[in-house]
Amino acid sequence: MSQTPRLRRARQLTASVLPTRAAGAYPTLVTERLRKAGATGSTGMLPFYGSAEGAIFFRNGRIIHAESERTPGPAIGAYQEYAGSLPPLDRIMAIRAVTEPIIDAVLELFTAQAHYARFRSSRLPDAGLASGIGVEALLAETERRQRLMKHLSVVLTPDTAIARNPHLRLESVRVSAWQWDLLIRVAPTATPRNLAWDLGRSVCGTTTDVYRLLALGLLSAAGEAPGRRRAMSFVRAASVKKGDTMPVISAGAAVEDAV
Amino acid sequence: MILNEAEAVLDSVADIDGFLLGCLVDASTGMVLAARKDQDDISLPIAAAGAADIANVISLLAGELSVDGPEDVMVTFRGQFHVIRPISGDRRPVILLLVILDRARVNLALARLQIRNFCVGFAA
Repeated sequence: MSQTPRLRRARQLTASVLPTRAAGAYPTLVTERLRKAGATGSTGMLPFYGSAEGAIFFRNGRIIHAESERTPGPAIGAYQEYAGSLPPLDRIMAIRAVTEPIIDAVLELFTAQAHYARFRSSRLPDAGLASGIGVEALLAETERRQRLMKHLSVVLTPDTAIARNPHLRLESVRVSAWQWDLLIRVAPTATPRNLAWDLGRSVCGTTTDVYRLLALGLLSAAGEAPGRRRAMSFVRAASVKKGDTMPVISAGAAVEDAV
Repeated sequence: MILNEAEAVLDSVADIDGFLLGCLVDASTGMVLAARKDQDDISLPIAAAGAADIANVISLLAGELSVDGPEDVMVTFRGQFHVIRPISGDRRPVILLLVILDRARVNLALARLQIRNFCVGFAA
């Protein structure tokens, strides 16, 4: 009979599937797990649980679908429209409508540092992308968005309460219909995440759209300190220096970043 | 670029003389939706991110000036032209077309016409 205490034995057994709590270890562990599924051409589901629940679905090593309980999924019929024959712009919009929720879900799972469990072969969603997204492309896009969200988090996160500017002069407001749809839904308890669910848009995209409306002075963020706001920069988010790792977003880190 | 299957929509842009790179960028998130490239030394993520940032600044400017949004934006570098053009309608998420052209090989007037025609046909 083993002399190893039961708890330590359980930890040893789960070490291969559960990310450790060591600071900074999560990005490496989760990306390695995805890369392994990609390299082995796996088909099935990688479930996530804990701080955020969801799953990433693979077919032949490529990601065909992902979902998170904290992000809206694709609109009903989005996969059917994507599979149909469409004019060019509608085709691009249909591709966007199915890829955006996948990346949004993965971003949420990674940002929440959700634990991943054992890979379950043969578990596939009812609908998914035909060709799928390569693991490296998904990781690159997720990392870029994490850097962008970290940059914005000094002022705004998906869960920051926002409000409409009470001194707004409607005749001076010039926004697109896309932005207007968002602006008119800003209720007293609104956050970018609530609005994303309300509009069926991605949480990341809604957060950047809200940031633009903040910059225009049409909205304000709760607890926003004067002078904290900086110009949103996609270039900064896309610039990867050697040795860069996936940033971990937290309120504390955001404050340090701002100082 | 997320899905390779989107690449074919940019075939006609790639036929412009002096073409170096063309891509469709989601202005909300900065994500590249489709891309064609004739030269490897241009960083697609950086070029696309730059186009999204420029479009963002221009849209802020348009909002402050209370004028309609841009038809196109041209950035002139010493060796390249970058043409940025929003191609989707008001009610949809903004998709940007970025075309990078070799300044030594391009007829700019003709290229702009071809880009405009592509966008009109693309959105039809």
